[in-house]
Amino acid sequence: MARTTTARRWSIGRVLAWAFLGVALVVTIFPFYWMLRTALTPAHELATDNTGLWPAHPTLINFRRVTGATTVAQNQAAGGSGAQLNFLLYLRNSIIYSTLIAAAQTLFCAMAGYAFARLAFRGRDALFGVFVMALMVPPIFTLLPNFALVKSLGWLGSFAGMVAPSMLMTPFAVFFLRQFFLNIPREVEEAATIDGAGRWIQFWRVIIPMSRGPLFTIGLITTVWAWKDYLWPLLVGPNPGTRVLTVGLGIFLQQSPNTAPDWTGLMAGSVLTVIPVGLLMVFFGRRLVESMNFTGIK
Amino acid sequence: MGTTSVDAAESGLAVATAADRPRRRERARRRAAAPRGDGRIALLFLAPALLGFAVFYVYPAIRGAYYSTTDYNLLSPPRGVGMANYTALVHDALFWNALKVTGYYVVLNIVSQTVLALVLAALMFRLTRSVVVRAMLLVPWLVPNVTVGLLFLWLFDADLGLVNHLISAAGLSTHGWFSSTTWAMPTIALTNTWAYTGYTALLLYAGMLQIPGQVYEAAMLDGASELRMFFRLTLPLMRPVLALVLVVSVIGSFQMFDTVAITPTHGGPVNATRVIYYYIYELAFTHFRMGYASAAAMSLVLILGALTLLQMRLLRASRSDLA
Amino acid sequence: MRTRARWTAALIAAVLPLATTACSSGGSGSSNGPVTLTYALWDNNQQPAYQACADAFTAAHPDIHVKITQSAWNQYWQNLTTQMTSGNAPDVFTDHVAYYPQFVKNNQILDITSRVAADKVDLNQYQGGLADLWVKDGKRYGLPKDWDTVAIAYNTGMLKSAHVDPAGLANLTWNPTDGGTFEQLIAKLTVDQKGHNGLDPSFDKNHVKIHGIELIYDDGATGQSTWGNFAVANGFTFLDKNPFGTKYHYSDPALAQTVDWFASLAKKGYAAPYDKASTLGPDAVLNAGRAAMTMTGSWNINTYLGSSATQKFAFAPLPAGPRGRKTFINGLSDAIYTGTKHPDQAWQWVKFLASTSCQDIVASKGVVFPAIKTSSQKALATHQAAGRNVKVFVDEATTPGETFSYPITDHADQITQEVQTDLEGVWLGKSTAADALAKAQKAVDGFMSQP
Repeated sequence: MARTTTARRWSIGRVLAWAFLGVALVVTIFPFYWMLRTALTPAHELATDNTGLWPAHPTLINFRRVTGATTVAQNQAAGGSGAQLNFLLYLRNSIIYSTLIAAAQTLFCAMAGYAFARLAFRGRDALFGVFVMALMVPPIFTLLPNFALVKSLGWLGSFAGMVAPSMLMTPFAVFFLRQFFLNIPREVEEAATIDGAGRWIQFWRVIIPMSRGPLFTIGLITTVWAWKDYLWPLLVGPNPGTRVLTVGLGIFLQQSPNTAPDWTGLMAGSVLTVIPVGLLMVFFGRRLVESMNFTGIK
Repeated sequence: MGTTSVDAAESGLAVATAADRPRRRERARRRAAAPRGDGRIALLFLAPALLGFAVFYVYPAIRGAYYSTTDYNLLSPPRGVGMANYTALVHDALFWNALKVTGYYVVLNIVSQTVLALVLAALMFRLTRSVVVRAMLLVPWLVPNVTVGLLFLWLFDADLGLVNHLISAAGLSTHGWFSSTTWAMPTIALTNTWAYTGYTALLLYAGMLQIPGQVYEAAMLDGASELRMFFRLTLPLMRPVLALVLVVSVIGSFQMFDTVAITPTHGGPVNATRVIYYYIYELAFTHFRMGYASAAAMSLVLILGALTLLQMRLLRASRSDLA
Repeated sequence: MRTRARWTAALIAAVLPLATTACSSGGSGSSNGPVTLTYALWDNNQQPAYQACADAFTAAHPDIHVKITQSAWNQYWQNLTTQMTSGNAPDVFTDHVAYYPQFVKNNQILDITSRVAADKVDLNQYQGGLADLWVKDGKRYGLPKDWDTVAIAYNTGMLKSAHVDPAGLANLTWNPTDGGTFEQLIAKLTVDQKGHNGLDPSFDKNHVKIHGIELIYDDGATGQSTWGNFAVANGFTFLDKNPFGTKYHYSDPALAQTVDWFASLAKKGYAAPYDKASTLGPDAVLNAGRAAMTMTGSWNINTYLGSSATQKFAFAPLPAGPRGRKTFINGLSDAIYTGTKHPDQAWQWVKFLASTSCQDIVASKGVVFPAIKTSSQKALATHQAAGRNVKVFVDEATTPGETFSYPITDHADQITQEVQTDLEGVWLGKSTAADALAKAQKAVDGFMSQP
């Protein structure tokens, strides 16, 4: 008897719960559809055709003009400015920027994390304390002087200037990997020590292979953060040669016609920046989602 | 310039050894387990990170503190002005407004985002553990803030936006969301809530996974409802994780910049969305006032430091873990 | 392990050249060999004309190429200042009188006095007064490229269906109290969803189908296309002395009355309110048939008379205020960035832009009125040949006493932000014009007292 009441309450609750989840998923995904729908609308028709689920005269012209497949005159005739989004170049730059940062940072932070977790040296814990304190320092504080530093090094407008501040370390990655290395049983290394392997060799032969999961996680998260980065690449590398996708999109917005934003072109550009993310989800979705369990802060 | 950074790193080490003493016993215990005297090899392991830390964290920190006492404008060499920037800051109505506006944003964003994320995390934990659902919820987090901002500018466009169409179809009154002093900040908060709720939910979900299943089995045998279990078990048991996620999100939302930067009102209307990060950016890069901007950044660091300490204390106080 | 170490080394090796190439690229193309200049402008409508100038320029100077970048007015200055702090601003950029003093103060644009003298550029060929705008403390920072005035653009079809004779638009009057015949016209052109116009007692201001006028609210510290013209027609002056005055008059009641009148239009239902105005811009609203008139500068001629317009538009002069008809006359110039690697080539390009060689090309495209008097006549001829009646802009510019020049002082960036922010409060109904402008006055006085 008690059982049936529970069951009924459960089922109502379950329906509500599923409904909530369903709404959340629709709210999460539908804006992307609207982005695509707008991108497929001819610019001149947007003022009158902006409510239906599908444009009256769908067109690919917006994609063609933002990727530079049309001339300036054609762009303007289609309702845009002379601006183009050199998508492939910016995509390349985004990939260079985020993989350089992610790969180097993961490697160097793994080394540092290992030193903090396993090596004994004077002042280790205090130094680690200083690193952790740096976790609390908001980026704006170092942003202005770092900009001045990169400028005085003559690295403005280069990948070097863009990746330098985050390539060697971030306090978060050091902290995260140290916590992981601390949990590796010491016996594993001790076995290697008996074999006569030094610390350096142990690190590469034992620790790294054992830590593929967390290393991949931190690499993936760093990639995503770097991929989304806007302010720093905007300040340091806004020229086409080093312009990343986010900055490209921001500049495309600025190059709207003088009186108004070019919404259809902007949405076409936005769709293009979402495609790589979609692919990432398709290939690494499970990995990425499960990686969150690691960062779930132990 | 180079020497300053080395000095800074060394002084950091000096501080380290001084602070070391109380923990000596613990360290002695660890040392017994690890081989002694890894100093040299440790330096090798730490070299890149130390270099990065010294050059891009310690050195700029000192540099920033120095700029804050100058009239540096990025175009000509700085001249010392003492504490003048800080005195001006105290009387700068826009600075206080920026802090107020930022605080308002943080409250709006954190409350909505955390409540929604908690509910979603609980649903993922108790209702379905489908990877597809989790992956879909995570997608907005992967999209650059600039794209998210543009998308919401368009969805909430006063004239042609989908949201106003839906609202007027429902017979309610529409708003110029981004151009109204009342609605601009809530709209921006909503934008970032949309972008970060899935991510936050997944972090909280990961925290929930650490709660042993037996706890729930026992409760269910007692006939507890899901709601009751959520409030009586899940919430108290994951309080430390929740607190940590909160600390991280609060610090993160204090630094909101991208969304405001691409909004055409540029911090308006009537300064309603001129958050502290954007204000500092404007001071440095559109008004050529790097020195003054550095003073504002220094003040922000102090505020965030105080806030973090406070939150950490609360966090420690709430350590009513499973143990 | 060895492969990994090598990979690390490869990574570092891969990064280093990126740094060094970046350094060396700055020094390339010093004097001989082809040079590419970057040139920035904000008006996308003018881009094709200046592209044609750039092509002609490269034909004459095969070693100098010009790459044009455009960004919208709202972002242009923010962009430019950010680029200047990074040291990578365009070699040459379109300059505005409101902004150049700030660049001069920070040593960001080149003094071209001696080059102008050496190359004997004739300063008398330009429309009167334009060349003098670009001189500060005896040094010249630009040569005039064009001029502009402001007029009313209206939908001819809507005038006809409201039975308004277009000829009467030349004699409109305005005052800040009841808006004069200009407000009567706006009301008459406003139509609610039941078809009542704004003069009809049963007009429903909450359900308006066509607004009589579409306003630009974010119009800077001067209201160049909107309130500034009306305020001056109401007896307001921006500055104690122009250019380079030291005291703004924002708290002048003549300005507050004008701003209040502008804000009243939305309250009466004759214009879209600030927070419901379209982000697509006035031309899109007019083209969509949702407003009958707007005020616009001569730089927008082709937006309303060009091929992309889906409705039929015409121009009328601004109404005459208590002090007569007043319109801004303003012009732009081209500035050379101090940080340019190619000052000599940049000067060649600037000189070309300020000569008949380029301004006749601009005239032939019929976009803006070039600064050189003969080229300006050619532009008028181009428009007339294409059947575009733009005479009102020229009449305003040449009628004595109908024009006034743009206020030129330091601190324009701060003043613009402050005044625009304060006026937003008025448009949103949060404060009265008098209060907002008193606040603006106080802040602006503060800026002006800074060094």
